[in-house]
Amino acid sequence: MIEVNDLVKTFKLSRRQRREEGWPEGVHEIRAVDGVTFSCMPGRIFTLLGPNGAGKTTILRMIATLMKPTSGSISVCGFDTRKQPGEVRARIGFLTGSTKLYDRLTVSELIRYYADLHGMDEELYQERRNELFDLLDMNDCAGRRIGKLSSGMKQKVSIVRTVIHDPDVMIFDEPTTGLDVITSRSIIDLIHRCTDRGRTVIFSTHIMSEVSRLADDLAILHRGRLLFNDTYETFRRNMAESSVEEEFVRVLGKEEPEWA
Amino acid sequence: MGIVLTVFRKELKDSLRDRRTLFMLVVLPLLMFPLFIGLTSSFIASHEARAQQRTMSVAVFMQGNEPGFSDYLLEQESVELVEVEDRARAEELVRSDSLDAFVVFAEDFDEVVGQLGTGHVDLVMKVTEDNDIQRRRLQGVLTGYAELLRERRFRDMDMDVSVCQVLEFETVNLATVQERFAEVAGGILPYMFVIFCFMGAMYPAIDLAAGEKERGTLETLLTSPIGKMQILAGKVGVVILTGITSAAISFIGLYAGVRYISSIPPELFDMLMSILRPGTVVFLITLLFPLTVFFASILLSLSFTARSYKEAQSKVGPLMPVIIVPAFIGMLPGIGFNALTAVIPVLNVTLATKQILAGGADPLLIGLVYLSLVVYAALGLLICARTFSRESVIFG
Repeated sequence: MIEVNDLVKTFKLSRRQRREEGWPEGVHEIRAVDGVTFSCMPGRIFTLLGPNGAGKTTILRMIATLMKPTSGSISVCGFDTRKQPGEVRARIGFLTGSTKLYDRLTVSELIRYYADLHGMDEELYQERRNELFDLLDMNDCAGRRIGKLSSGMKQKVSIVRTVIHDPDVMIFDEPTTGLDVITSRSIIDLIHRCTDRGRTVIFSTHIMSEVSRLADDLAILHRGRLLFNDTYETFRRNMAESSVEEEFVRVLGKEEPEWA
Repeated sequence: MGIVLTVFRKELKDSLRDRRTLFMLVVLPLLMFPLFIGLTSSFIASHEARAQQRTMSVAVFMQGNEPGFSDYLLEQESVELVEVEDRARAEELVRSDSLDAFVVFAEDFDEVVGQLGTGHVDLVMKVTEDNDIQRRRLQGVLTGYAELLRERRFRDMDMDVSVCQVLEFETVNLATVQERFAEVAGGILPYMFVIFCFMGAMYPAIDLAAGEKERGTLETLLTSPIGKMQILAGKVGVVILTGITSAAISFIGLYAGVRYISSIPPELFDMLMSILRPGTVVFLITLLFPLTVFFASILLSLSFTARSYKEAQSKVGPLMPVIIVPAFIGMLPGIGFNALTAVIPVLNVTLATKQILAGGADPLLIGLVYLSLVVYAALGLLICARTFSRESVIFG
């Protein structure tokens, strides 16, 4: 389970950033996340939806302990991300669309490395590795260097790397960005498999079709604020527009948050 | 500790599979000295040989004196006597490189010599680095001719030429091999080690920091259960190892270059090797270790602040002269090893090495060198740890 309470994250702007990004004089920091509260339950897919720059990646990075909140709290499986970051990281798997792998390592070496970082014992590692390699048909490429693999195969390696330690919580940050349909499908399948096994899943996207296919719970984020936070079913039931996409655009245009 | 070793092993494996790192770590230090020594030796040897064999064109203006010198010159190998109408024309030809030199005897040369005086001769040529061998050849000819005239003079006086040698002296050198060669070897060796240590550390540091950021693998690594400092320790360990290894390989390259390629006589080579006892090499490595830790910390810190491999190279590049200059100054004779120079990084390593090789190093000053290097290493690690902790550095 993930619990996020009144989360705020501000970034100080450097002189270079103010100059390059055209911020007006007197603006020294930006509030990327502004008082966000939500919960993700096990066995359900929590979808964070929003346009680029809404703050989705920042929230997911804070959950993954990559960044510290400015204020507010996050707890993952009962562990506070600020006070017990190691415990949190031991229980999460993190996959982003920009996740890259070590091109100079072989597939086996990479998976072994991450298993070792998670302190997996040999027997459990072998069992898990064989299960996943068989499932994703990766045995033929186990000894090949990652740099020589196709993008589809690399994504499979990323998936195995993410779940090798069988984490309780899965975090996906726009995982299908730039992928073809077939490779995206493997990510979608993984997400379903995680929830089927009772794992907590949170994933961010700006692709409406993914929301429709995956979301159990939905949060719409815009300029760091939550505009909607309820089940996807509630969102669909209360739509004022004829399509999910148009409803999303309508919600973005609202000044105040809107939820049932 | 076990997890740090896991990171260390993976980073080392990854680094050694990078061609750029392998080249800077192994190929360049191994080949640089043999190539440099080999090319320099053969160039110098062939230049000398060509210069010795080249036929020199020389004009002679006897100015009414006996043509004894002209006849003497004709007997010399690879010298061509050239007729030139006058001195002004000869100067013109020398300036335009159409004539190597001309010799002008004073008008009263025969008269002065006949009266047991010293006759004057001008040797006129362009003296540059390039034709120094020609200068030495012609001066040798003139010296030979002077010797001939001296012998004739003493024969005419019915005396032996040895009577004008009133005193002969011989220099008896009490300086030990260490003292004689330590000044030179003690300056060059640490200079070489420091440079290769830095270069060997540089590329892995860029690859493991900025390279990892650019490739997008750092974010994923940071979501694993291990702490940031454990990750950093693994990376620092690899950079230190590659730095020290590069220095050690450069020594092997130097040994091979001096032993098998250069024209150093075997006995001189043995003398040089006797200075480099195992204890001395171990001492040098113990000095290099904290310095390498300092290099590794600073290189990683700078690399982490870069957004790409290329940006990191441009940030780290300016450090090269900052390293080379104090190392070079340490090579120069007359630079004092005192409480001030003992705390200047890189310079102190060079000076301490010179002192140890020469023998009689002040243990207090050596201790000060070690202490200062350890302090710099600790400061470097602190800066590196702080840099790596900043979110803006990781995600910037």
